[in-house]
Amino acid sequence: MSNKIDIINVVKSKLGDKVQIQLGQLGTAAINTNNGLHRDVLKALLEADEKTGITAISGVDLGVNLGVLYHVHTSNAFVTIRAEVPKDNPKIQTIVDLIPGAAFHEFEVSDLLGVIFVGNELKGHLVLSENWPEGIFPLRKDVKATEVKLNPAPVEEKAPDMGKLVKIIIGPQHPALLEPEKFAVTVDGEIVTKVEPRIGYVHRGIEKASESRTYIQDVYLVERICGICNACHAYGFVAAVEKILKTEVPERAKYLRVVTLELNRLHSHLLTLGHAGLEIGYETLFQYFWRDREPIMDLIELTSGNRVYASLMTIGGVRRDIKDTDIPKIKTTLEDLRKKLPFYRQVYENEPSIKARMRNVGTLSREDAIKLCVVGPVARGSGYDIDVRKDDPYEAYGQIPFNKIVYTEGDTWARMNVRMDEVEESINIIQYAIDHLPTGPFRIDVPRNVIAGESISRNEAPRGELFYYVKSNGTAFPERVKVRTPTFANIPSFLKTAIGENIADVPPNFVSLDPCFSCTDR
Amino acid sequence: MFKRTFSHMFTKPATTKYPFVKPTLPEGFRGKPEHTIKTCNMIDLSGTQRELGFDVQALVNTNCTVCCRDCPASAITIVEVDGKKRPQFDLNKCIFCNQCVESCSRDAIKGSKNYELAAVDKSSLVIKPQPNAKEGKKQ
Amino acid sequence: MIDIWLILRILIFPGFAFILLLTLFCDWIERKFEARIQNRVGPLVAGPAGLFQPLADFIKLLTKEDIEPRDAKKIVFRFAPLLAFTIMVFAICFLPIDGASVLSTGGFSGDLIVILTFSTIASFLMFLSGWASANPYGTISSARVLTQFLGYDIPLFLIALTPAFIVGSLSIFTIAAGVTLASGQTIPIILLAPWAFVLFIITMQAELEKDPFDVPESESELVGGVCTEFTGAKLAFLHLTRDVQIVFGSALVVELFLGGPYGPVFFGLPAFWYSLWFVLKLLAVVIITEYITTLFARLRIDQVLSANWKILLPAALLSLMATVALVTWVYPLV
Repeated sequence: MSNKIDIINVVKSKLGDKVQIQLGQLGTAAINTNNGLHRDVLKALLEADEKTGITAISGVDLGVNLGVLYHVHTSNAFVTIRAEVPKDNPKIQTIVDLIPGAAFHEFEVSDLLGVIFVGNELKGHLVLSENWPEGIFPLRKDVKATEVKLNPAPVEEKAPDMGKLVKIIIGPQHPALLEPEKFAVTVDGEIVTKVEPRIGYVHRGIEKASESRTYIQDVYLVERICGICNACHAYGFVAAVEKILKTEVPERAKYLRVVTLELNRLHSHLLTLGHAGLEIGYETLFQYFWRDREPIMDLIELTSGNRVYASLMTIGGVRRDIKDTDIPKIKTTLEDLRKKLPFYRQVYENEPSIKARMRNVGTLSREDAIKLCVVGPVARGSGYDIDVRKDDPYEAYGQIPFNKIVYTEGDTWARMNVRMDEVEESINIIQYAIDHLPTGPFRIDVPRNVIAGESISRNEAPRGELFYYVKSNGTAFPERVKVRTPTFANIPSFLKTAIGENIADVPPNFVSLDPCFSCTDR
Repeated sequence: MFKRTFSHMFTKPATTKYPFVKPTLPEGFRGKPEHTIKTCNMIDLSGTQRELGFDVQALVNTNCTVCCRDCPASAITIVEVDGKKRPQFDLNKCIFCNQCVESCSRDAIKGSKNYELAAVDKSSLVIKPQPNAKEGKKQ
Repeated sequence: MIDIWLILRILIFPGFAFILLLTLFCDWIERKFEARIQNRVGPLVAGPAGLFQPLADFIKLLTKEDIEPRDAKKIVFRFAPLLAFTIMVFAICFLPIDGASVLSTGGFSGDLIVILTFSTIASFLMFLSGWASANPYGTISSARVLTQFLGYDIPLFLIALTPAFIVGSLSIFTIAAGVTLASGQTIPIILLAPWAFVLFIITMQAELEKDPFDVPESESELVGGVCTEFTGAKLAFLHLTRDVQIVFGSALVVELFLGGPYGPVFFGLPAFWYSLWFVLKLLAVVIITEYITTLFARLRIDQVLSANWKILLPAALLSLMATVALVTWVYPLV
């Protein structure tokens, strides 16, 4: 498909008048369906392009009905399929048989909004806790979060006797995990046979909370979904709101945003590379990486005022400018980091204990990567070359030259190498952006009440593609904010790659996904 | 790896030995927001000047309460002092985003570089505006 | 008849108090050295340059609450840590530290085998303490401990016999005294069989469960390894046992290969100089093993086992055969 519109024409030719196509809305096009035609549209897209996958499934409370939006990405287009179900009978056909990676997304809509996907019903809860009362769905408009009464804590059942299989529970509190999640790993001796995840320990209800705060307050709220990729969250929300307002940000603001996002990517990749060393018992490498990460934190403090939460994005631009006196310091710090990279590359290439622990561990093939809809370095390490900065350029990325890093081995070692090379690319991007900063204002004023509308935004967080869907209704408060974080899309791949491997391989495998559970649970 | 680790035996450690050595902070570091009260009304808060408190000369608020509306953490509450509405900052809730600094149209709130704010008592972190008997200058 | 001198030797020097202080000091040296390699400072605040940090950690653990899981085997759970610690200290008491060991002045033939057996028993007690914890992490970790130390005990014994072959006796005192050349000089064993020294250091690394053979205590997979369920005083003694094992292993290297406490005596009491040389050589070996720890990542259990049975055991056998050949035919000519 060379042109984005081609794939839309394919759908139009196959389904004709049964669906309504609105070009330019919610991506390349929004396709309104009813009577369960979403499966046919999806089938048409899948036949036309094998790299079709689900980015997210949003549920919206529309009053009488519940809206279910399927956000589908293809090689170069982004299509949203709209469907509606009535609230008193919220059943809709599942799409898990077409795209296996949609399972988790459907579970989430079931859990939070009460939509029943026929063929993929949710047992228990996904992000809500065990003692959440039945039948109350928090994202519906009539539910007030403060008035929900929780059930008493459930009694833990005695585990059935499994013979010689041992069930090891990794988490919620565990030294291998930075944040709490529970993975019940069933082992036979030392080989893993099954992994059962339970997420939702860090669920704070941010999507619901954002509906009762103004847009300005929401920028800070969504920033705190994750500490490591905070700039990307803030940017995702701000970009979606600016699309609703149809404002164009000044050029200087675009370049400054690129600098912030790339600094965020730098510190996050260095964090992961060090953390991977810690998981395989290599403390020395961990300390070295984090020592080299400190100057980047100082740079973030220099440009934004704080080491972790940059809080630079705002609706209409950025909050502060880079002073010309600071630019030489930024450049020297980045050059120092660039000089240290060959040492780390050589360690990854030649060190025997790293190769023994990381090679051929957690291999994900390219077909599995496409079917499970993984994103970010996990996908790029398996040969699936998606990168939102190149496929769908935003801000100033269209004007800055850089390379897409793809490795084909698909194991832990490949994913770590992807991140290492991306560190170098980020340094190049920041230096180019600083050298070519356009003059002009860095912020424009926007009204506080946002006109009614809806829009999406995608950007490349350090862990993968981050997706935002914002719907506004003309007041100062948003109607619905939906966040789909990259780790949420990557967890199903871990459930697949861990099977058949040693239990000792589970931590390095897991860390190579770069899990961020605050993002996953929101 | 061997060469690098061997050479580290003879290099200085990279640690900053806080709290014996304090780091230098850049300009624009977002620390505690300080309510600068410009010369205005009767309210002169210099009597409550503490290291932890605001730098206070006089008050200039226009009763606009934008800082209270825009605070993401609801850390600013408006209290009535001497007939005027003044902001009360609760540093227990403040996230140091400095949105109040931007929203105030009169530049009455400024950021500072103060970050060593640990206290033993939660109520000491609530910065209350207090009336003073002395008359301030009129604007 | 109570021999006051013997009791003082057992309790204070070079007995219990000396070994305890030496253990804490070696712990401090390890942490500072590892920190230096990793480009950071280690303990800094407790005492001058952090010297009292290991003692502070020990005392802190003693003040914590002691919790026992309901399903743990009580007697083993309570006594295994203390017993392991006692046996390790007892094993060190056989080594010549200031020219004479704690218990006797000349040792007896065969005490090398005795102390190696003691170290095996202590490792076995560590395994038991994990096994008695009734915790899945403890169970898996203790299985790994057993697999590892049983596997590596065989090369350890074989390589430890190399100096015995060279000197012709199984008594530690005789081995530590070194070989007397025809010219009357004594040289330590390391100069005669340096390959055995290298292999012994590697095997000792595995016995002491340090990187790259850190498998049983791997923090990132099994939360605390063998020590998961232990708290309070029992945990303090488990940690201390591990540290005393390091001192014991390094002391064994010093005695077998580096000539023990014997060295040049400059003035005054030979006992003082012998203890000084012993401590200095011990610290050198501790630093070498700690350096190897920082250099490598942790291997998986199957890689550790294949390294043992496929590489280390044949190497140990070869080294023994080469040493015997050299001793029989080559060295008498020198």
